[in-house]
Amino acid sequence: MRLELKRELSELQSIVAATAAFFAEHGIDTGLRNVVDLATEELFVNMVLHNTETTADILLEMRPLGAGVEVSLTDFDVDRFDPTRFQPVDIDAPAEERTPGGLGLFLVSKMVDAMTYQYKERQSKMTFQVGQG
Amino acid sequence: MMFSVDQNDSGAVRLSGRLDAASAREAERVLDEAAGECVIDMTELEYISSAGLGVLLRTHKRLLSDGGIRLVGVSPHIRDIFKYSGFDKLFPIEAA
Repeated sequence: MRLELKRELSELQSIVAATAAFFAEHGIDTGLRNVVDLATEELFVNMVLHNTETTADILLEMRPLGAGVEVSLTDFDVDRFDPTRFQPVDIDAPAEERTPGGLGLFLVSKMVDAMTYQYKERQSKMTFQVGQG
Repeated sequence: MMFSVDQNDSGAVRLSGRLDAASAREAERVLDEAAGECVIDMTELEYISSAGLGVLLRTHKRLLSDGGIRLVGVSPHIRDIFKYSGFDKLFPIEAA
């Protein structure tokens, strides 16, 4: 599955619909949906909010992998920004010291089976796998 | 299922559908009006991302001196999100 996405949060609806159709078409365990939806949203939103130097569409790709799925998001004509090198979140800190910043990428790192980052010719590509373990 | 937010008969704020980056502002608009200890009913909430967690955290911190927020009707999947993020240590959470 390949889907070109405008740099708008309203595209989240399109992502959810396309992911549901992809899971149904390939018979993938729907129990994996929430993790895939979460990781895809967090990485897409991260690109939209942080890679503001481009207006190009973001490419979402999804393919079956074993009993699960591999998802990639590619952002074009952007500076290097590696989401796998996020600041750690102190989940034991009291509420007064907690901030929402960095929570999304932290959650993705905890919930997917694997996550990689590639940067080449000003293209930033995040890939993650779910349902491999 | 589209996101919606309203208050039920007992005064709890009820979240339904998908609380993501596109709907977080709508949730925040309602929760900004909450006062005192705030009960949030998540029985019909299907999904939450970090944008939704941010709304809950900001509301909890604002109301902390009055008791903060209390979550009820939390599904196993959303409870996992709270556990991974450490939010299960920040406010009371009651399962669905």
